[in-house]
Amino acid sequence: MRRDALIVFILWVVTTAIGLVVAGSADIYPPVAAVEAEHIDQAARTLFLLATPVFTFVVVVMLYSIWRFRAKDESEEGPPVYTHQPFAVGWLVVTSALAALLFYNPGYVGWQFLQRDPSGELTVQVTAAQWHWHVTYPEYGLTITSRPIGFERMEENAVLALPAGKRVKFEVTSVDVIHSFWIPALRMKVDAVPGITTTMYATVTETGSFEEDAAFRAQCAELCGTGHPRMNMRVEIMEPEEFEKWVEEQKKMMEMGEMGEGMDDDDDH
Amino acid sequence: MLPVVRGIIWAVVAFIIGALLTMLVRVAVGLPAWAFGPVFTVGYFFGFTGWLLGVGVWDTWLREYLGMEPRPYKAEGWRRYFGFNTDHKVIGIQYGVTFVIIFLLAGLLAMVMRFELMRPGRDILDFAEYNRIMSLHGFMMILVAVTAVPGMFGNYFVPLMIGAEDMTFPRMNALSYWIWPPAAFLLLLSPFFGGWDTGWTGYPPLAITNEDGQLLYNLAFFTGGLSSVVGSVNFLTTIITMRAPGMTWGRVPIFVWSMFLTSIMTLTATQFVGVAMIMNLLDRIAGTAFFNPIQGGVPLAYQHIFWFYSHPAVYVMILPSLGIMLEVLAHFSRKPLFAYRWAVAGMAGVTALSFTVWAHHMFTSGMSGALHVPFMATTEAISVPTGLIFLSALGTIWQGKMRFKTPMLFAMGMLFNFLIGGLTGVFNSDLPVDMHLHDTFWVVSHFHYTIMGGGIFGLFAGIYYWFPKMTGRMYDERLGRFHFWMMFVFFNLTFLPMAWLGINGMNRRIGDYPPQLGPVNGFVSMMAFFLGASFLIFIYNMVMAWVRGRVAEANPWGVRTLEWATSSPPPEHNFPHVPEVVAGPYDYGVPGGAAHARV
Repeated sequence: MRRDALIVFILWVVTTAIGLVVAGSADIYPPVAAVEAEHIDQAARTLFLLATPVFTFVVVVMLYSIWRFRAKDESEEGPPVYTHQPFAVGWLVVTSALAALLFYNPGYVGWQFLQRDPSGELTVQVTAAQWHWHVTYPEYGLTITSRPIGFERMEENAVLALPAGKRVKFEVTSVDVIHSFWIPALRMKVDAVPGITTTMYATVTETGSFEEDAAFRAQCAELCGTGHPRMNMRVEIMEPEEFEKWVEEQKKMMEMGEMGEGMDDDDDH
Repeated sequence: MLPVVRGIIWAVVAFIIGALLTMLVRVAVGLPAWAFGPVFTVGYFFGFTGWLLGVGVWDTWLREYLGMEPRPYKAEGWRRYFGFNTDHKVIGIQYGVTFVIIFLLAGLLAMVMRFELMRPGRDILDFAEYNRIMSLHGFMMILVAVTAVPGMFGNYFVPLMIGAEDMTFPRMNALSYWIWPPAAFLLLLSPFFGGWDTGWTGYPPLAITNEDGQLLYNLAFFTGGLSSVVGSVNFLTTIITMRAPGMTWGRVPIFVWSMFLTSIMTLTATQFVGVAMIMNLLDRIAGTAFFNPIQGGVPLAYQHIFWFYSHPAVYVMILPSLGIMLEVLAHFSRKPLFAYRWAVAGMAGVTALSFTVWAHHMFTSGMSGALHVPFMATTEAISVPTGLIFLSALGTIWQGKMRFKTPMLFAMGMLFNFLIGGLTGVFNSDLPVDMHLHDTFWVVSHFHYTIMGGGIFGLFAGIYYWFPKMTGRMYDERLGRFHFWMMFVFFNLTFLPMAWLGINGMNRRIGDYPPQLGPVNGFVSMMAFFLGASFLIFIYNMVMAWVRGRVAEANPWGVRTLEWATSSPPPEHNFPHVPEVVAGPYDYGVPGGAAHARV
């Protein structure tokens, strides 16, 4: 009994050590383009690290028991052990402490960080409609509208540009059903709900574009009907000067009437 | 005439009467006679009533009410299953066969979805079709997960395990089953009315403005909920009042405890989803504006009401299966269930907390900022009582004498899968991380790990464990093990990569995704097809065993609980006379220990 417990303890320590190394170093995350995104990835890493000893404990006990505690013949019965009160109390204390810990950090602390500064140097108004994003830059008097044309023709789709280094406030609403505005590279989404305006804040850092990785896209994440998978647009994070240039170009195109409201969808769903 | 046939005829007649009445009233008040919504809805409730009357309510309650002699349904052989049979064992098998078939059909829909998702771009389905198939898959599977274990094993084994001759209200028990066929019929009918494309959650405003099939979803969900409520009353009263002498609360098998606590959730939460369905339906057909923002309704209100039921519902899906798991672990380790009282407390804690966590489905919904932190706290707190169930499971197998028969394999597989399901759930409960993971394939992975890896693995543990008792035949053990290994391996290979897909930007409920996610999706689809194929082995094994399997003895596993102390299958009133319980259900390894009960 003591020997079994000791072996399991050693196996647990070893597998946990390996697990921690793997969980801490595994690069399973898409590109990061915001301060918040880095924090969210860090929170996920912390959770993987906290989950590791729990996972290895259960699996080690299971595998060891399978190996060691088999019935050798049909009549064999286990010892009549009904409970072990100190162990159960200890279990309760440890699991409660673990739950409290991960509630505090990364949960509460991380949430406070995301909520820290409800302001933006740049406001982006996003209005969702089946199955477009109407993206308005009120400071620039510019509106861009995405088209539900699918990933195979994504290069023809509209671009939502953001200046690197700026704090952006997204004001999101919908004119019809519920949508959800998600940019995977920012690791954040917020629902677009008809009748109310929801907000999302991100301090954008790195430049990047959809051509590099599909995480640079604004994707509808709440089922909104037939065109839902195609309700997306390219996201391009550029240097501030480039962003200014991009705005000028877009405004010119808007005036020339090549883009903007009422254009042909040519969606074929 | 078979009651089922009479029920169908009465239903059709009543539907026509209801529909015509509605049209008459509409004409009388100056509206056009035909409008699908109101006419179908009123017709449905008439037809539903006609069905219930025809299938058995007339013969039992109504005749009694009118002062006539009731005519209880008596039949032998296969006919037993096609009428208002009040034997809890017949009802258990009715539930079991019905919901295993629904499970397999919904699984076929999943195969179609995985075929579409195998490569980026569109292959065989357009997006509207994909959404409908996904919605139907989700809703059918939810019904299976909520109903199969309580319906099949709750009905069959709760009375047996507590030494009762039947449920407290046998006719209500029959009613709870016969409410289901109209709901199933609505689902079959829905594709002819455009299906519905909102997933199983049916969020308005989309659910107010889309195709008419949505109305059938609302009615089907309402109908199924009604059955759950009726059934749960029966479980509670049966477990409280029908326990055999000596069956104290401390001797009640853990599966019965899980059914007891599950029934508390079903009885008290289901009304909320019923109300949500009716409110949405009225928004659609009667011009109310509960959730319709254009007329001042509040879309988020639906989500609050819906999840107030639907989060407890996920514990309804898992608790009975956890009960089966602990049951099997104890019996197949021949060791007392470790920390029995702690496990009961854990289940009770889950039940209590289940009502306090619903808004964790809404962290990105735009709900009031004051709600996020409290709901993160309650959600993470629920891991503590769940942990007590793991304590009980691990403590039971520790130093046990394990026998790796098929039910035991499924119980162990469930423990492993549910561990991953629980740990991935922690990520969703974490506010910052959920901002990214919400509504992605991470969530798809997470809830399949809990509901399929947990609930459905528990269902299969139960099927293999109790098959000899229910049918009197033994299945093929080798095929059973083969089924387990195939299902376990391909289940994990299907759903683990989905977590990666979610992190890397694949949102859920979509018929297309960025091309860079193609290779992993291709792999997932291949694994899913093998997972699907594993059920062919199951079907073959079950059908062959039921038709010409070896005849099973009364207690093929050599275990203690009361259902094994009577013949396989048990006689009509279960025991020759009332059993007297004299010892615990798990008193293994006690030198010279007494049997669980004197039968």
